[in-house]
Amino acid sequence: MPKSMLLEVITPSKLFYKGEVELVIVRTLTGDEGYMAGHTWAVKLLAAGELWFQEAGSNDFKIAALAGGFVDVKENIIIFADAAEWPEDINLARAEHEKEMAEDWLKHPSNDDAEIARAKIAIAKSLTRMHVQAGGHRRKR
Amino acid sequence: MAASNMRDIKRRIKSVTSMEHITKAMKLVSAAKLRRAKNTFEKTREYFHYITESIEEIFNNTSEVPTQYLRGNREIKTTCYIIMTSSRGLCGSFNANVIKEAAREIANDPETPVIVAIGSKGKEYFVKRGYDIFEEYMLPPESISFLETHEISKPIIDRYNAGEIDEVIMISTSFVSSLEQRVVKTTLLPFEIRWDPDLPKHEQQVDYEPSVGEVFNYLVPKYVEIMVYGAIVESATCEHAARRMAMENATENAIEMIGELTLFYNRTRQAAITNEISEIVGGAEALK
Repeated sequence: MPKSMLLEVITPSKLFYKGEVELVIVRTLTGDEGYMAGHTWAVKLLAAGELWFQEAGSNDFKIAALAGGFVDVKENIIIFADAAEWPEDINLARAEHEKEMAEDWLKHPSNDDAEIARAKIAIAKSLTRMHVQAGGHRRKR
Repeated sequence: MAASNMRDIKRRIKSVTSMEHITKAMKLVSAAKLRRAKNTFEKTREYFHYITESIEEIFNNTSEVPTQYLRGNREIKTTCYIIMTSSRGLCGSFNANVIKEAAREIANDPETPVIVAIGSKGKEYFVKRGYDIFEEYMLPPESISFLETHEISKPIIDRYNAGEIDEVIMISTSFVSSLEQRVVKTTLLPFEIRWDPDLPKHEQQVDYEPSVGEVFNYLVPKYVEIMVYGAIVESATCEHAARRMAMENATENAIEMIGELTLFYNRTRQAAITNEISEIVGGAEALK
């Protein structure tokens, strides 16, 4: 059995998750990365994306939607997210609606760069929500 | 004469009684809201220190931190004041205390201040005195979400980066206990980091991705956002606590007043009766 470590997921309003885990997968700005106990220390920025983690002694992954933030990997892993949601808390209709709205902004010709960036983030966030709600983008192993 | 006087007193008793009902109801509502706000506030405060610790840690462990957010990087000319009041009254001296402190700060500032008002009470005060309000937010503070505070702090950080403001000071109320709230002044930017010799250097190399600079540039605005968010939550808690106290005092005063008026009413009634009796007796005496 692999070694476990403590994972804490913190959002501005609450402690989202705290528990012993074996593997954590997050989406950093440069792509998906997984951490196990004994990983090199790191501080990395996160894009909006899925959070996967395997609790100690379990073979299943738990997933959640993260809306950007950063991860602090030391002996334990702390994730600071702007927002975090479990799949059962996600409102699929709202996520779809938000995605459509953001796509609408993109179609607008007079948008400036900041707005385009914002729309892209909004799309990424709603896509994440939809994927997480559907059980994750990746197939479960 | 006595009869009309009695009617007046009776009317006053009635109006004070209905006032007492209102203040009592408001007190109960505030007490319930206070409990809820306190809950959120305590949860928020628990995780606050994490982010400041992370920033200090990075600063203590690297040499290539970008200096634009640090004190001493540029001369401080224009100061931005974030003034956090409530949007509703009837909460004792809660708003007055914040405004007094803010007005003193601004009076001491030789440059034109940039004012960001959160809550309409502070805004009204400074608009009336001819100050320009750079930004204002009138949302009810108890339901504000973290993403909404992003909208507040973003323009401030943008202006700071553009060099239009050199310092950001937040004046808000700090929650000491349900009975005591204190006005505090917090400097958000430039960021002041203490070289803390107690904080040990990591024995391990830490990877920063994409780079130290970018991580730091992400963390500092986040720090401002979190501080603003925390202050709003705290200020909302204080508002309810202050209102609860004010309403409790008002209810007590009303009860006291009702007691006094009732006593006065009874005395007047008794005086009227005595008067009547002595008149009757006097009349009967005269007929003999």
